[in-house]
Amino acid sequence: MNKWIYLLVFSITTSIAFSQNTVSGTVVDDASIPIPGVNISVKGTTQGTITDFDGNYTLEGLELDQVIVFSYVGFKTQEITYTGQTTLNVQLVESAEALDEIVVIGYGASSKRMITGAVSTVNAESIEDLEPLNAANALQGTTAGVNVLQGSGAPGAESNIRIRGISSNGNNAPLIILDGFQYDGGLNSINPQDIESITVLKDAQAAIYGSIGANGVILIETKKGSFNQSPTVNYNTYYGIQETSRTLPLLNATEYTLLLNESYANAGQALPFPNVNNIENDTDWQDEVFDTAAITSHNFSIQGGSEKTRYVMSASNLQQDGIVGQEKSSFDRTTVRLFVNSEVRDFLTVSANAIHTTNRSRGLNTFGLGSVLFNAANIAPIISPDRDNLDGTIDLGNEVVNPLTQINQTFNDFESNRLSGNFKADLEYAKDFVLTARYGFNFSNLNNREFFPEFDYGNGKVFSRPENQVNQNQQEFYDYTFDLFHTIDKTIADYHDIKFTAGMTVFRTHGEGLFASRTGVPNNSFGFADVGQATGTGDDQTNGSFVSELRRLSYFGRVEYAFKDKYLFSGMLRRDTSSLFGPNNQVGWFPSATAGWIISEEDFFNSDGIFNFIKLRGSYGGLGNDQIPANGFLSLLVGEAEYVLGQEQELVNGQALGPLANPDIKWETAVKTNVGLDLRLFDRALDVTIDYYNDERRDLLIGGIPTSGILGTSAPASSPPTKNAGTVTNSGIEVSFNYSKDVSKDFSFAVGFNFATINNEVTEIIDAEFLEGGQFGVGQPLPSRMEVGQPLGYFYGLKTDGIFQTQAEVDAHPSQLSLGAEAQPGDIRFVDVNGDGIINDEDRTNIGDPIPDVTMGFNLSLNYKNFEFNTYAFGNYGNEIVRNFERDQVNVNVMRRRLDRWTGPGTSNVEPRVTSGINTNKVFSDYFVEDGSFLRIQTISLGYNFPEKIYSKIGASSIKIYTKVDNAFTFTEYSGYDPTASTGAPIGGGIDFGFYPIPRIYTLGLNVKF
Amino acid sequence: MKLYKVIIAICLVGMCFSCSDEFALPDPPFAVTSDAFFLSQGDFENSLIGAYDPLQATYANVILGEIASDNTHAGGESATDVIGWQQVDRMIHTEVNDNLDDIWDFNFAGVYRTSYIIENADNEVEFDSKAQIIAEAKFLRAYFNFELVKWFGGIPIKPEGKFELGEERSIPRSTVEEVYAYIENDLIQAIPDLAEQAPQVGRASKFAAQALLGKVYLYQDKFAESAQELQAVINSGQYHLYGTQEGEDFLNLFEFFVENGPESVFEIQYTGAQGAGFGCLQCSEGNVAVGFSGVRGYNGPVFESGFGFNLPTQEAVDAFSDNDLRKQLTILDIEAWVADFQDQGVPVTYNIGNQDPQTGHTGFYNRKYLPRENDNLPDVNLTHPNNYRAIRYADVLLMAAEALNRGGIDDALARDYLNQVRERAGLAPTDASGSVLLETIYLDRRLELMGEGHRFFDLVRTGRAASFIDGFQENKNEVFPIPLEEIQFAQGNWEQNTGY
Repeated sequence: MNKWIYLLVFSITTSIAFSQNTVSGTVVDDASIPIPGVNISVKGTTQGTITDFDGNYTLEGLELDQVIVFSYVGFKTQEITYTGQTTLNVQLVESAEALDEIVVIGYGASSKRMITGAVSTVNAESIEDLEPLNAANALQGTTAGVNVLQGSGAPGAESNIRIRGISSNGNNAPLIILDGFQYDGGLNSINPQDIESITVLKDAQAAIYGSIGANGVILIETKKGSFNQSPTVNYNTYYGIQETSRTLPLLNATEYTLLLNESYANAGQALPFPNVNNIENDTDWQDEVFDTAAITSHNFSIQGGSEKTRYVMSASNLQQDGIVGQEKSSFDRTTVRLFVNSEVRDFLTVSANAIHTTNRSRGLNTFGLGSVLFNAANIAPIISPDRDNLDGTIDLGNEVVNPLTQINQTFNDFESNRLSGNFKADLEYAKDFVLTARYGFNFSNLNNREFFPEFDYGNGKVFSRPENQVNQNQQEFYDYTFDLFHTIDKTIADYHDIKFTAGMTVFRTHGEGLFASRTGVPNNSFGFADVGQATGTGDDQTNGSFVSELRRLSYFGRVEYAFKDKYLFSGMLRRDTSSLFGPNNQVGWFPSATAGWIISEEDFFNSDGIFNFIKLRGSYGGLGNDQIPANGFLSLLVGEAEYVLGQEQELVNGQALGPLANPDIKWETAVKTNVGLDLRLFDRALDVTIDYYNDERRDLLIGGIPTSGILGTSAPASSPPTKNAGTVTNSGIEVSFNYSKDVSKDFSFAVGFNFATINNEVTEIIDAEFLEGGQFGVGQPLPSRMEVGQPLGYFYGLKTDGIFQTQAEVDAHPSQLSLGAEAQPGDIRFVDVNGDGIINDEDRTNIGDPIPDVTMGFNLSLNYKNFEFNTYAFGNYGNEIVRNFERDQVNVNVMRRRLDRWTGPGTSNVEPRVTSGINTNKVFSDYFVEDGSFLRIQTISLGYNFPEKIYSKIGASSIKIYTKVDNAFTFTEYSGYDPTASTGAPIGGGIDFGFYPIPRIYTLGLNVKF
Repeated sequence: MKLYKVIIAICLVGMCFSCSDEFALPDPPFAVTSDAFFLSQGDFENSLIGAYDPLQATYANVILGEIASDNTHAGGESATDVIGWQQVDRMIHTEVNDNLDDIWDFNFAGVYRTSYIIENADNEVEFDSKAQIIAEAKFLRAYFNFELVKWFGGIPIKPEGKFELGEERSIPRSTVEEVYAYIENDLIQAIPDLAEQAPQVGRASKFAAQALLGKVYLYQDKFAESAQELQAVINSGQYHLYGTQEGEDFLNLFEFFVENGPESVFEIQYTGAQGAGFGCLQCSEGNVAVGFSGVRGYNGPVFESGFGFNLPTQEAVDAFSDNDLRKQLTILDIEAWVADFQDQGVPVTYNIGNQDPQTGHTGFYNRKYLPRENDNLPDVNLTHPNNYRAIRYADVLLMAAEALNRGGIDDALARDYLNQVRERAGLAPTDASGSVLLETIYLDRRLELMGEGHRFFDLVRTGRAASFIDGFQENKNEVFPIPLEEIQFAQGNWEQNTGY
């Protein structure tokens, strides 16, 4: 109905307007489908129009020889000279790998062609192909130099994103900018299907973000809808089944009892199982713990627009249960979004955007010593699964408990609500002069409730609780950003394109939290777990609070200049003041410059040869990482002062000095250099990008830098000061290839490959020879170090040289007594690295590091008729992982590998003997360090687009069904659950404590468009 | 461009630069800075609690002092469990030893917090109990410094206040004599301002300070001064040996209900009312040494399980005569204990950890400081509430007896003091004098105080360590090495102790 009215009005207006010098026509795409919203302008004038829903347009008042320009995003711009035609139909050609694609670069945008920094983008199309659970997965393997590793496979776990290696001993997470505003909510709280594009700024181009941009910047733009588009309804849903991708090869009950008997016999001790024939249980604990779990997603969106206004509405829900603990580790995300953009007047455009997210998770102990999987890997197979209290079974030390009981006794509820929004106005107050004012905010609250029931796991077990306890906390964070900036975009004399951006931004974030915990929860039940219901009295009833405040005021400016679209220059400067900065460094200046030369635009260049496009570019600049601890420059009375006084032995509280102050504290400075080459070859089918980068991170903020004990820094809740005391460099090359070809009308394919090398080295630490971190075993020295000349967080331990086969070999070797015991045949032989004739802690050395030498990604998509096939893979090469999920205790279960133990001369030169006696085989050495290289087939998906005759029957405009496998297969030598295991910690990363493996997911999905 | 547009443009550009840097300089919300402290009586009282707090971390001194002596084996899960303790037990410790570093750090934290009060002592805030608070801070500083000089010999000192960043490179190690003079001075200044009855249970009294001063003198062989201070404590009449009066049983001396009892001259207070973790052992409000001393995997009545460290040796157990009540008080013979209960039909089980002959299982546990059944909070191994009897009246009597005898002052009185202790233990009084009396005092001192962390330092100060402790090297092991990290922080300012 509406359409008819429109047509009527249209025909009337065209007929009225028909006169001399008027041209009209239809703009269509390659497939002759009309394109609405095409921009049509007349060169050198302000005249212009856009096409309507049916691709029709009319232009009036033309003069002969004027040039009409037809442009539309994703298509090549066409210029046609007006020679008096009355009808001009135009077919626009899709620009195959659109060099003219718009790329956001912070406080502005540029085209891919003109960009001079190292920038990668992932667009909505890739996200549609991948259907990732989490926006971070969309970056995994698709962008060179961006390494995305999940901290855990547990539902809702955040990913660790690292751009170009690890530069800081502190926080290495990149800055996330959502629709122009700093976003601290984590990528998990963003619905991937709301995303239009993800842009990664990897080099000095990010200097426009000053003191917060040193770790790289991820710019996420949400979908904005289109003008002149009738409402499109999208409904996407999928259902998946998750399973563990791996189980550890562990001993069964018979093997376990025999091996343990041997171990006791070797130590001359009484056998724990004198009769191995009457072992009652043979429990496969991993089988007990792992389950298949469901995942369900619904996403509903409507987008469209009239001539002046466009809008998007969407709602989504994701529910994921855990493969360990099912609903006890579940994750639930619900999002709602509304976006409106309107051209109110010719000179004024406003938009408003709001996203509400609710995340709910359950917090099962999934990581580290004492996690469910750690227990499953270590508990003895001779114990029955229903044995909640391990008293009377074999002694497994105080940490190992029944993992099933642990799941049953876990009661947590974490909920976060977040509302993010912004309001933006662009005012073109003079031609080419635009003032942008925008206000963005994030409001979030977190409600966490933990309940620890009274429960006895067995005597002395660290999880046993004689009394129950509920912990509650509520936290609120509110931040706002106000930006005000000018953009001047001018072309002078056709040759000089100048773009000038300058303005200011104000940021404030304020957080408050209240904590309370109480014992005496009625009925020992989660149903009553509330501090208001609990009845506990006495000293166990605690409460606390915090307030945080951060403010930042910044001024920035950027000049971009292009001469004849060939020679490109830009310069940026940002000035930051921040409440984090110390009194001696209150203002930070962050300058950078970039340049580019599009060689293929030169007259001598034939762009129809092998090379169609060549651009050489470079950038250099300084950025900051402002991860300064709040009030690090102030001495505060925040130390712990607690003692017991009075006849009733009451706990009393006082005050004491907290961390030592450092008034000289300042941000970390990154100096980034990048040289890159963009190529396009073979009829624009192959795109190649090559970058060399060198990032030097100076003035590293080193918290708790070892300081003399006489300064009282070991007092409770005191600590050494945070100082700027180190330098780390990362350098390497990044290469990416993308080839796409339409072989025939029915068949097209695209293939991409990228890799990046990382060479990481610590070049300076002031005031300390090294810094330590990580954890190995219990009570062993810290295994990870930061030390000059070594990669950040390398593993520091003993080198091994096989197994002592005979006593003669032991006698001929330097004594290992200093490690705790004299060696015996069958024990690990350690290398006397410093050659002093004795094996001790001094012989520790670099035995690996967690930073990959090369990261890579691969993707392939095939389209044949109505079928789509996509696969993505990524991998790391040259990183090591420390196997630390085996509890150092005599009676725990062990990996099957131990069956190949040394039992006499010549039996093994790899696996030491088993013994319950004293030995040094558990001392941290390269025996525990494994090659962590892997290649993972992350996604394989096959989709089918129903033909028109089917979808049109139900009034749809497209229907697609697909099936997909995520985390399909991993090629690796690593023996633990998952080679992607990493906390991402700069010092202490790459240590596997019993990592919750990332599940394999089989998905069936449906996308319908109306 | 028209003029008004230019004006608008200028105004709009101006808007962009109208914010002041002051915006980014807020005061920290709800935080007390060091500039705004010690402004009231409450501030002083609160900071004093902060100064008592590090006493709880001296659990480390007690358990390692005992392991270092000939009384106990390190024990633990294996011969490498808490390697620093194992090395000290074998007397093969070096300057790289986290556990010795803990003792340095924890006690200097106490020095730092007490000095923070003392450096503000003369400010304008006046109130009645100020002198008492300052005096307690001085007592505590003396206590921490005395521990440091016992362990490490000459240490850096700064009597006027707390150390400031960088002073580790400028303030030298003082001599042992200078450190002792500093400790004596703090105590002598504190004594007149301290009340005879501490204002609260757990705080220092005048007699606590005098007992400590007597001990400090004894460590320097200043016998007359030592005897004088210790006798003042004895003659106060405020203390008696527990078990010698109606309704008291000596064997209950280390039970919870006798804490802060008639024998307690100074006692370090612990509670199980707050949880703790391995990440910060010094933050625990419980006695960490107790959980570490517990029987591994123990399942039975009376006690709770623990990590099986600090195991009395057969030789130490054999040093008790069979009729010495202190043997029962001090030693838990686990096999006999299990057998006794089994006879009553109560099953008792436990596990054995470290079986190394030099540092491992002996079958005996330090009963004075074993974890008793209680409802402490997790990690239950770290939060046992057993108070540490830092200065016991029996210790005061034995120190006084030693000072009187070794100073040639009064053997009869020395014998009297010693016999009070012996009689309480169910032993016959001695009539020895001279060097025979001294040997008896030494032996009774070992037996009376076994398990309480004094033995190693008693052997060292009396020059007898090498003949009792396996592996002890003279002119080296009398003190422990300054932690390597500290030597490095000092950048050449502090020299390592001889032999390390």
